[in-house]
Amino acid sequence: MQDALLRFARNRLALLGAVVLLLVLTMAAAAPVLYPAGAFALAGPPLQPPGGRFLLGTDTLGRDVAAGIVYGARTSLMIGVVATLAAVVLGVLIGAVAGYYRGKPDLALMRITELFQTIPSFILAILLVAILSPSADSEIAAITLVSWPGIARLARGEFASLGGREFVLACVGLGAGDGRIVFRHLLPNCASPLIAVGSLLVANVILFESGLSFLGLGDPNLMSWGLMISAGREVLRSAWWICTFPGLAIVATVLAINLIGDGLNEALNPRLRDR
Amino acid sequence: MFRRFNAPLRALFAAAAVAVLATAARAQEPQRGGTMVMIVQPEPATLASYMSVAGNVCPVACQVYEGLVSYDWDLKPVPKLATSWEVSPDGLTVTFHLRDGVTFHNGAKFTSADVQYSFMEVLKKVHPRAPVVLGDLSAIDTPDPMTAVFHFNHPAPYLMMALSGYDAPIVSKSAFENTDPAANPTANKPIGTGPFKFGAWERGQYVRLDRNPNYWQAGLPYLDHIVARFIPDASTRSAALETGEVQYAAYSSVNYSDVKRLQANPALDTTSKGYEMTSGLSEIEMNEHRPPFDKREVRQAIAYAIDRKFIIDNVQYGFGKPATGPLSSNFKPSGLYTDEVLRFDVPDRIAIANKLLDEAGLPRKADGMRFAATLEVNSFGQQWMRQAEYLKQALAAVGIDLTLRSEDTGAWLRRVYTNYDYDMSEPFFNNLADPVIGVQRQYVTSQIRKGVDFVNNTFYSNKEVDDLFAAGAQEVDPVKRADIYHRIQKILVTDSPVIWLSEVQYVTVFNRKLHDATTGPLGTYSAFERAWIEH
Amino acid sequence: MRRWIYAGGRLALAVPVLFSIAVLNFFLIHLAPGDPASVMAGEGGSATPEYMAMLRHKFGLDQSLPLQLWHYVVNVATLDLGYSFRNDEPVLTLILDRLGPTLLLMGTAFVISVGAGILLGLLAGTGRNSWRDGASSILALLASATPSFWLGLMLIVLLSIRLGWLPTSGYETIGSFYEGRAYALDVGRHLIMPALSLALFYLALYTRVMRASVIEQMNMDYVVTARAKGQTELGIIFGHILRNALLPVVTMAGVQAGNLIGGSVIVESVFGWPGIGTLAFAALQGRDLNLLLGIFLVSACVVVAINLMVDLAYVALDPRMDM
Repeated sequence: MQDALLRFARNRLALLGAVVLLLVLTMAAAAPVLYPAGAFALAGPPLQPPGGRFLLGTDTLGRDVAAGIVYGARTSLMIGVVATLAAVVLGVLIGAVAGYYRGKPDLALMRITELFQTIPSFILAILLVAILSPSADSEIAAITLVSWPGIARLARGEFASLGGREFVLACVGLGAGDGRIVFRHLLPNCASPLIAVGSLLVANVILFESGLSFLGLGDPNLMSWGLMISAGREVLRSAWWICTFPGLAIVATVLAINLIGDGLNEALNPRLRDR
Repeated sequence: MFRRFNAPLRALFAAAAVAVLATAARAQEPQRGGTMVMIVQPEPATLASYMSVAGNVCPVACQVYEGLVSYDWDLKPVPKLATSWEVSPDGLTVTFHLRDGVTFHNGAKFTSADVQYSFMEVLKKVHPRAPVVLGDLSAIDTPDPMTAVFHFNHPAPYLMMALSGYDAPIVSKSAFENTDPAANPTANKPIGTGPFKFGAWERGQYVRLDRNPNYWQAGLPYLDHIVARFIPDASTRSAALETGEVQYAAYSSVNYSDVKRLQANPALDTTSKGYEMTSGLSEIEMNEHRPPFDKREVRQAIAYAIDRKFIIDNVQYGFGKPATGPLSSNFKPSGLYTDEVLRFDVPDRIAIANKLLDEAGLPRKADGMRFAATLEVNSFGQQWMRQAEYLKQALAAVGIDLTLRSEDTGAWLRRVYTNYDYDMSEPFFNNLADPVIGVQRQYVTSQIRKGVDFVNNTFYSNKEVDDLFAAGAQEVDPVKRADIYHRIQKILVTDSPVIWLSEVQYVTVFNRKLHDATTGPLGTYSAFERAWIEH
Repeated sequence: MRRWIYAGGRLALAVPVLFSIAVLNFFLIHLAPGDPASVMAGEGGSATPEYMAMLRHKFGLDQSLPLQLWHYVVNVATLDLGYSFRNDEPVLTLILDRLGPTLLLMGTAFVISVGAGILLGLLAGTGRNSWRDGASSILALLASATPSFWLGLMLIVLLSIRLGWLPTSGYETIGSFYEGRAYALDVGRHLIMPALSLALFYLALYTRVMRASVIEQMNMDYVVTARAKGQTELGIIFGHILRNALLPVVTMAGVQAGNLIGGSVIVESVFGWPGIGTLAFAALQGRDLNLLLGIFLVSACVVVAINLMVDLAYVALDPRMDM
């Protein structure tokens, strides 16, 4: 682990990503201090250009774009992390069962996984959010439901390849239960690739969420970057700043997480370093 | 598979475009010929205007179907398929004398049998507003081919306001006889008596209407074709007007945010006329079965807390005016409207709101909030989300913690009008031509009808109001009638079962080369037989 | 021959997949609150319960759920996707009308992303740690972090509003009535920005996959052998590496097909592109169950078809399949 940290620290791009992400995290944490009135507060006259009293300008209702960016960071990160964790848990469970038991359960679960990979995931997510009614919970549920197949396949592969190793056979010989073997012995051994892929998944989930809220399927009570962009669309010709800054925030955050994910990947899976 | 026009139509469009773009001195005499391209948004689901009053059906269908009458700028009926009419002194029979020599587009002659069939067999059975508007129509006699006598159970003066080609299209009996009116093949290929015949419907692109050479008004219409184009994207619609590809866009199919820019274009003009019989009001409904909305003070406090001018200026880009009550100020000419009601736009309105909420027994808690509620966001577009976001801020200022819920149209309507699973909702209602048709459905007890959309879902029930609406519906004397509706407005505003936010001002954007497109209060919901294009 | 058997096997596998998707979609959509009757009546202003019941009957919504499912599956099997009552038009007709633009958009984005991704990946992988590697890596990093809809809006601001080079949105110039070549050019001009917006994310993906794959191949024994034999570097790249390095890209392209059609929903809505995506969103808003079911099925069919093509491409590329 020490080696991994060291390798990560030597990766300058990954460090840059970490710094940017830290900045976004600080911003999100400090939101109530920076803008105590909240993201939706009618802060001033509508459609003020950037500079002046409002650093990033105001939108059509006179809300501060900067406040929206800061509160949007909370929404994006929250949904990104929670949905990713849920997808990883679901994916690992399914992948573990399939990879450990092989045979019929494997076949059945992999068919289901394939099915979910065939269905256009974004359209499925739109449908799910609409059925569940747009809210942070339903966004997380929908994103989880379309994100697990990739993790499941990865976990299945790892578990399958570990399943035949000597230490597993030894455990079986010692009479350890399946649950114990899977969670105590196998899972830690495939944590590295899961962490790396999971961190990249956070970035994808943030992109996915911004797309949903752009289409008006986000939680209407939470400020999000996608919502800001969709609200600013109508006045794109005259007020470019309303759409531009939230987009830059998405790019910066996703980029930072991708860089960290790449760094983790290289640090934790040194044999893959050339990839 | 790829979306293209067929060649003859392309040539026709090209000719039209050249004609429109050609610089010609402004002529005052109407010119024959040309094609008018108008935006209809979104694409209608059907052209069966006898069965659907969706806003996008009639701009097309009203070119094909005509009614017994039309309306002038004073909202008075003028002859169309009926040349004259007499109302009996007791108001229980109305005799229409029909126009001779009119034929349907399928060649059938127009007679009283068509009128009888249209009302009794089609409209009464499948028109969504029939239960209200035609509920008291008991029979139609046809003593001769050019006379139709309507019999009513009770006097129905409002019916004279609902006989246009929009409200009550006359269909051909020959096309409907022995069919289920809800599944008639003419639903998408309408056959009427109007100035334009149905030409073609290219799904996803346009409907083409062709000049009816046998139209009963000699020399009319002036245009050879009308093309209704469907352009899903708002900025593309604006661009199409700017380039002259489209000459007419009504019902604010152009984004309000774009209208100011288009107004600066010398080739374009705008008008707010032609919506006098539509009269849209944006409102907030509150569920009186959910405390604390059962308290009048709470509802009034909310009415006080909202800055209507802010919504109009910043959400509607200035297009609209504050609403004062359940009737639109468009009812001023008929004397039905009054603004002598409880007014919420007073300078100390926030203080009053806070006081009312205190009196209602809803003190501020530690977090500064008095109570929490959910607002169902209207699903018909971005502006409603912006309005909801404003409402959340405005109500927070008086201690009401609003949560917004935004669902798609189906889910929203079901929640609000079937399951009654809501606190507050922000719908949009059209007052239409008469309070009987468009207003009373929201306030009378008999209109608390589970599963029916856009009726009384607030559970407001007031015997006095019910009686007044019943009296107003049958009152033939205009002065007495006005008095009844003034009393209704005073009571309703004081009770505030709903909160009236703004009278929405629709805007029509049109090319200056297009003349006489808006010739009456029904605007786009009437035929363009007098419209002409400079060329 | 073996290739055909393989392809036939894949095709046969697609049938149960499509069947499962049909059943799944049917139940998902029926979980949704609201039905088309209530939306249509909503547009009607005010309607009686009898009128609503009439509409429900017309839509077949008064039948039991298993009965509705049975009818649906039978109909799907006979290529009858049902009738869109809100549009008064068969579902298949509506979808086929919109399929063309979507396939054009997807196809163009696919070609751009795969083509440019392979090229950039090759440039980066063969010149590891050189400036070309750095430049294409930065491009790929940025592209994979940019939401397609935002990129689309920014392109509109820059290329349409500021520079006036390209039309803001739509499929063709309304009322221009171009024919033949001029028409194709006109559609092409409208296609540039949506296709770019959709392609960029995948371009980044393929660049990364291609780069890694090229680097892996470069270290293979056969390359060392070829080098030892004195073959030129270009000869090695195009003679040996390229074909082998393409395989992971082709695999990835198949995996991404479903995402590409999903991504086109959002890009279509930004550019007013008259495809399946805008149709799906309108159907969702209007609670048009039959139409939604059809769209999901057809888009799954498109994905299955693309996967099949990818399989065939794999067969063509993979030397082990040569028999």
